[in-house]
Amino acid sequence: MTSGADNRTGPYLELFAGRGAGGPVAARRQQAIERFEAAGFPGSRDEEWRQTNLGPILRARPVPAAGGALGEGGALPFLYPDCDRMVFVNGRYAPAASSPPEGVTAFSLADPEGAGSELLAEHLGASVDGRASCSADAGVHPFAALNTALFEDGVALGIPAGTALERPIQVLWLSAPSADAAAGDNGAPASIEVSFPRLLVVAGENSQAAVIETFAAADPAAGGYFVCPAAEFVCGAGSVVRHTRLQADAAGAFHLGFQHARLDRAAAFESSSLAFGGALVRNDTVALLDGEGADCTLDGLYVLAGSQFTGNHMRVEHRQPHTTSHQLYKGVLDGQARSVFNGRIYVHQAAQKTDAKQTNRNLLLSKAALANSNPQLEIFADDVRCTHGSTIGRLDEEALFYLRARGIGFEEAHGMLVHAFAREVTDKATFEPLRRDLEARLFASLNGGRSNGQGG
Amino acid sequence: MLRVTDLHAKVEEQEILKGVDLEVGAGEVHAVMGPNGSGKSTLAQVLAGKEDYEITAGSLELDGEDLQEMAPEERAHAGLFLAFQYPVEIPGVGNSYFLKAAVNANRKARGEPELDAMDFLKLLRERATLVDVDEALLRRPVNDGFSGGEKKRNEILQMAVLEPRLAVLDETDSGLDIDALKTVAAGVNALRAENRAFVVITHYQRLLNYIVPDHVHVLLDGRIVRSGGSELAHELEEKGYGGFDGARAEA
Repeated sequence: MTSGADNRTGPYLELFAGRGAGGPVAARRQQAIERFEAAGFPGSRDEEWRQTNLGPILRARPVPAAGGALGEGGALPFLYPDCDRMVFVNGRYAPAASSPPEGVTAFSLADPEGAGSELLAEHLGASVDGRASCSADAGVHPFAALNTALFEDGVALGIPAGTALERPIQVLWLSAPSADAAAGDNGAPASIEVSFPRLLVVAGENSQAAVIETFAAADPAAGGYFVCPAAEFVCGAGSVVRHTRLQADAAGAFHLGFQHARLDRAAAFESSSLAFGGALVRNDTVALLDGEGADCTLDGLYVLAGSQFTGNHMRVEHRQPHTTSHQLYKGVLDGQARSVFNGRIYVHQAAQKTDAKQTNRNLLLSKAALANSNPQLEIFADDVRCTHGSTIGRLDEEALFYLRARGIGFEEAHGMLVHAFAREVTDKATFEPLRRDLEARLFASLNGGRSNGQGG
Repeated sequence: MLRVTDLHAKVEEQEILKGVDLEVGAGEVHAVMGPNGSGKSTLAQVLAGKEDYEITAGSLELDGEDLQEMAPEERAHAGLFLAFQYPVEIPGVGNSYFLKAAVNANRKARGEPELDAMDFLKLLRERATLVDVDEALLRRPVNDGFSGGEKKRNEILQMAVLEPRLAVLDETDSGLDIDALKTVAAGVNALRAENRAFVVITHYQRLLNYIVPDHVHVLLDGRIVRSGGSELAHELEEKGYGGFDGARAEA
């Protein structure tokens, strides 16, 4: 590593040094920080990171986000009815605003009683193992490792074998940065409040659960903060796990997220990632199809305007026969927004009869918006069906003319077509309150974005 | 109602319309016939306001208003309707939702109160019955995955719902089997009215057996070379367009 990298990792190593690494996962935390230290932050030559400008984050001095207390009222705008819920503020559990589900092991990681410390000891960080990036060599993911080393709190959910949860579990990650983050000379804040939300879901054999993660700012006008979450899903044989990841951070936020799913035999994992907020956003996903017949669906939508950046980096590994994966990621970009989709499907030699499909479609609403799409297939089995496709285009002029010829004005016709494009993803949400919320956010984003667009 | 005078239009530096004159009065049905490449569809698209075409000379007026000054949606508000030769598939936009948006956009532009969901549904069902469109089509995305016949029927349904003053049908008959053709024709005939005019653009005389025009025009190489009554369509059927080369020379 260069000395520059040392300067950048130093403040994070100090955060670790200033904190006791106790608890059931102390050894894994220690291992994670060592791996992080050895690898350092990615440089501009790192293929997986070269299109993500980490400068604004790494120039700032990280400060642990202060524990914010928040009543039910503060979280209310983000909570869905008919849900069990666990609310976190700046990465710390807010029990007053929470109503954890019954019948499952659900607890805050900071709970000293460690009601599920066995669960933690067995699973937390075990499958991530610090070596789980989306890159070809599956090297260390620096931010996943940082999360393991530095998370203060989070949620662990253990769903017993054979249990089907009727209500979704909403996990709300609220950021509430203090107002006094000082601005640095070059415009970036001299210090930045950082939190490391951690989620562990262990779905027992033939269990069924739906988890909705919501990332948001208590005050949408909040200044810059850095949220660095990691989520692990251990999907037991025959389990069905639905996961929604709604990223609606404040406009100035940095969000570098990592999620990892391991699927046992005939397990199904459906994850939908909706990204609306933040200035600089990454969402890295690794799915390991580790049992015969395992099936994963990874959908995503990013709606960007202004100078927002969102990167989605995917790695799906087919390790056993008859495994299927379907990915549909769609992006709507206005203003000078930029996006990166890096999708890697890796089919191991043993994974005969793999069925993998990957689609990334991007709709550019302005001349200055830029979408990058890099689908990659690596196939070492010979009897598989793998397809991938990516498109980057503008609104269909023929469709626009058709609508206008029926009397629908330009703005309305434009909006109808963009909505239609994005709704392919949001309509898949089966939980009604969530679907309605996504609709509303989509509407607000697109209408906000339009004013920044080219207009005519 | 519609007055097209010495209309010249080009696309990508190629002149397609070379001086078209056409006058359509209220209550009339005009057929514009011509072979491929004669400029039929260009005329339709220019009327509806497609921006790909540049009008280099001449004028287009609807009820004395200059159409060239109007955006495509404003032409619709003024009562112009184009049944597309190739209706556009719009995945993700429900057919019924689209029709309601269209109806209310027109009503709003004309200063009429918008229809609520119940009133619109009533109108839609009534018109769907009139033009024999299966209600299942209303629940699907606009033209998405429709057969050729379904797309053309959907155009006629839109026309029935939007109640235009001037409807331009661009080769609505092409690709239709005889049953679908009869249905489309019946829909058009049901909408014929004193205050409504039709311009039926077609390659073949076949449709005109079912929609009997008051006037027939032959379009060749960007000009109307001959106009007459409905008997002209039969003459065309017998002689083909080749027989009009001489007429073009005189024109």
